[in-house]
Amino acid sequence: MYSIRAENLTKSYGGNEALRGVSFEVSPGEIFGIIGPDGAGKTSIFRILATLVVPDGGSASVLGLDVVRDYHEIRRRVGYMPGRFSLYQDLSVEENIRFFATLFGTTLEENYGMVKDIYSYLEPFRKRKAGALSGGMKQKLALSCALIHKPEVLFLDEPTTGVDPVSRKEFWTMLQRLKDQGLSILVSTPYMDEATLCDRIALIRKGVFLDTDSPSEIISKFDLPLLAVSGPHMASLLRDIRQIPQVFSCFAFGDTHHVVMRPSQDSIDAQINFLNTSLHAKGHNDLSIRPIRPNVEDCYMYLDSMEDRL
Amino acid sequence: MTAMETMKDARRFVSFVGKEFNHILRDTRTLMVLLVMPVVMIVLFGFALSTEIKDVKVAVYDPSKDAATARLIAQIDASDYFTVTDMLDGEDGALDAFRSNSADIVLVFEDNFYHRAVHDGDGRMQVIVDGSNTNIGSMAVFYVSSIVSSFQKELARETLMDQAGNAGEGASGTSQVNISTSMRMLYNPQMKSAFNFVPGVMGMILMLVCAMMTSVSIVREKERGTMEVLLVSPVKPFSVILAKAIPYFVISAFILMTIICLSVFLIKVPVSGSLMWIVLVSLLFILVSLSIGILISTLVSQQEVAILISGMVLMLPTMLLSGMLFPVESMPRILQWISYCVPAKWYIDSIKVMMIQGLGIKYCLDCVLVLFGFLTVITGLSVFKFKDRL
Amino acid sequence: MISGENTRKRIMELLGREDDHFLKEGDVIRTEGLTKCFGSFTAVDHISFTVRQGEIFGFLGANGAGKTTAMKMLCGLSRPTSGRAVVAGYDLHYNRDVKHLKKVIGYMSQKFSLYEDLKVWENIRLFGGIYGMKDDVIAEKTEDLLRRLDLTAQRNRMVRDLPLGWKQRLAFSVAIFHEPRIVFLDEPTGGVDPATRRGFWEMIYDAAERGITVFVTTHYMDEAEYCNRVSIMVDGKIEALDSPAALKCKYSAPSMDEVFRLLAGKAKREE
Repeated sequence: MYSIRAENLTKSYGGNEALRGVSFEVSPGEIFGIIGPDGAGKTSIFRILATLVVPDGGSASVLGLDVVRDYHEIRRRVGYMPGRFSLYQDLSVEENIRFFATLFGTTLEENYGMVKDIYSYLEPFRKRKAGALSGGMKQKLALSCALIHKPEVLFLDEPTTGVDPVSRKEFWTMLQRLKDQGLSILVSTPYMDEATLCDRIALIRKGVFLDTDSPSEIISKFDLPLLAVSGPHMASLLRDIRQIPQVFSCFAFGDTHHVVMRPSQDSIDAQINFLNTSLHAKGHNDLSIRPIRPNVEDCYMYLDSMEDRL
Repeated sequence: MTAMETMKDARRFVSFVGKEFNHILRDTRTLMVLLVMPVVMIVLFGFALSTEIKDVKVAVYDPSKDAATARLIAQIDASDYFTVTDMLDGEDGALDAFRSNSADIVLVFEDNFYHRAVHDGDGRMQVIVDGSNTNIGSMAVFYVSSIVSSFQKELARETLMDQAGNAGEGASGTSQVNISTSMRMLYNPQMKSAFNFVPGVMGMILMLVCAMMTSVSIVREKERGTMEVLLVSPVKPFSVILAKAIPYFVISAFILMTIICLSVFLIKVPVSGSLMWIVLVSLLFILVSLSIGILISTLVSQQEVAILISGMVLMLPTMLLSGMLFPVESMPRILQWISYCVPAKWYIDSIKVMMIQGLGIKYCLDCVLVLFGFLTVITGLSVFKFKDRL
Repeated sequence: MISGENTRKRIMELLGREDDHFLKEGDVIRTEGLTKCFGSFTAVDHISFTVRQGEIFGFLGANGAGKTTAMKMLCGLSRPTSGRAVVAGYDLHYNRDVKHLKKVIGYMSQKFSLYEDLKVWENIRLFGGIYGMKDDVIAEKTEDLLRRLDLTAQRNRMVRDLPLGWKQRLAFSVAIFHEPRIVFLDEPTGGVDPATRRGFWEMIYDAAERGITVFVTTHYMDEAEYCNRVSIMVDGKIEALDSPAALKCKYSAPSMDEVFRLLAGKAKREE
């Protein structure tokens, strides 16, 4: 049995189609990531699964329970952390967590084991008001509050947005540990680099999934030659590469430019040579060009641009 | 439901109420405003209303023109409270005197006053008051009556001495001298008291605290996203809202007591009705206001809108249509009809009846029933409107 | 662009005091021991650095490291507790300087950028007007801007109806509409899709090529690589400042992500 199953979900707000037919399953003990920018429909999926919003079309179940019919039972058994979740700013760390414990008919002491790993970070600041915590700490407190009643499924809507890379890393380590305890986790993020930390991901764009698979499978489906190019004049290099007709797309990626070549019969070495000569003709010397393995962000941009060209 | 579950529910509810108290007590600024505002309003109104009167202008119509009337008029004129400004030629002069502002009260003696007072034991006089000046009205009548009653004693003593002189020793007897004073209000026949503002302030403040604060605090949770988490929990959604109402109920009850104490002890409103009923009806009104607040919160999702609705849509009609500032009776019919839809009007009316006029609960049963009606309908509506989804 | 010598002259005219050459030729920001305390808490602890004209300067740090406080001081929104900072020739110590400073800087953040309930052209006109540009200049530059952003057909749309990516591009263009000398960007690219994020950086490059200095904070470490130099703040102090390549070399890390984790991971304080 799947922990979460969604079939052809649709939802519109006014004339605005937030979801246009989304289907996926999450197995027990799996971290499933929904990756995509703001406004792509991530929050709508979470709200439907957390029984806060009724879908216009399609069906969904959580722990085998229908999200529309059995919503009372679902609410008892899931943990939910909405996007931009802000807790009660004027209550202290401890008051917040104790409040959520009572809300679910339990106590902090009873379920301390569940949150110990995370809450131990917070204990030194137990008396501090939640509003005075930094982003990383707030996020840990929110996660503790979502876990305090030992949920079987965890819904985390953009838990890492606006949080610095170090806290983000810590957060994902915590999710791994929760997963090892058998929790199913549905998480969304706009940070593509977090995709590889999920067991399976869905790339979402304008209310539809571009692809759903494990990160490595998604990467292996990327079948065009990808080259990393760097040189002394990165800005003009970017413009000049885009002028070359054999180049499908070119984007800056950290300290290199990632160049996707159009499909061709030539070997990868021949393509590198070709690129080098073309750019040399435009005055770029001392270039470093090497074939690389794509990452999830390359895949997203490729699928994104394919979708646009259709 | 098992006993275990019920226990959990109860504990959940208690911790909820505790959390709400925490929110309120930590927002000290708002709390201070809530607690200080009624005090300031009552004190300000109380001082603006000067109960001391001085040199009230008195016009007299005295067809009798005998020894008694002359002495009484002289005594009234001699007191600090009154100045006799005019002798009228007829009873009708009273209206003109009020209109031209040359008199605040008019004394009218009957013909042959002395004779009737001393011999028939029934001297009649009338005090006509310009009722539009509520400050002066009741106090002036009070002082006139006390001057008249001491004059009556004086007159009685003199008559007794005369009789004793005439009939010799042993002749004892009670005096038959009696002056009856009747009062007539012009322009304000129901004699609305100057203390009318007290029920008005009570209605307004309770409405403000209950309706505005409750709706804002619920809507704040919607805005912050915490409502989402509360909904996705086994807690019964309506108990979330009930828990919000309880602290404001407590605060309102406290404010109610403050207002009543201030009215009675500081500005000395002569509360003549049953205090118990006044408090009970006020508690009923607090419930009505809370239910309005909850209804607003189920309909809107932004704090500003909640404030606007409770501020403009509730406060303004409460102030204008409840009779607090302008008498409802003199408003156009259409506005009177609208005023019937304002719960505060019924509350203020009933408090006026009990607090100012000193009548029993049975004289304002209709108002109380209407308030009950409001409570049922509004609570029903908000339960109906309440969604346990977004 | 105003050359260094002209700036000096203008400052003398405007402020009536001799420039003490604290700011060297070719630099636009210099701070020396800049500090901000809130009560007993030192949010920014004696930071000293310079930013060069036309540079893209990445200002990194964990949540609560003091980035926002430092940026507020440099924009003239918050008064330093101690230390000295000169931005675009204006000394933050003097109120009169701060007033003039605000005319030559631009600011954009993820949280506030444009008025959602105003139309595209109304936003542009509003910000042009705020910075005291003449109406005909605004009109002319507005056309030019709309054409470059491919928004000509959308000029009458409410900003709230634009996709997030367009909003951010428009917000950036509005922030540099008055040709400021420095533009401060506070996490400008949060939440947009990868292609739009890169499009946004291409706009930043264009601005830098035109001589506008870009001072930017971000949580995307690949964006740190696009900067000419980056500083990493830890617990109110600047722990490292150099070009991304030099930093990676110094800490023998393969990416800026790794460098950041090495440095920011040492943070002790929790704000």
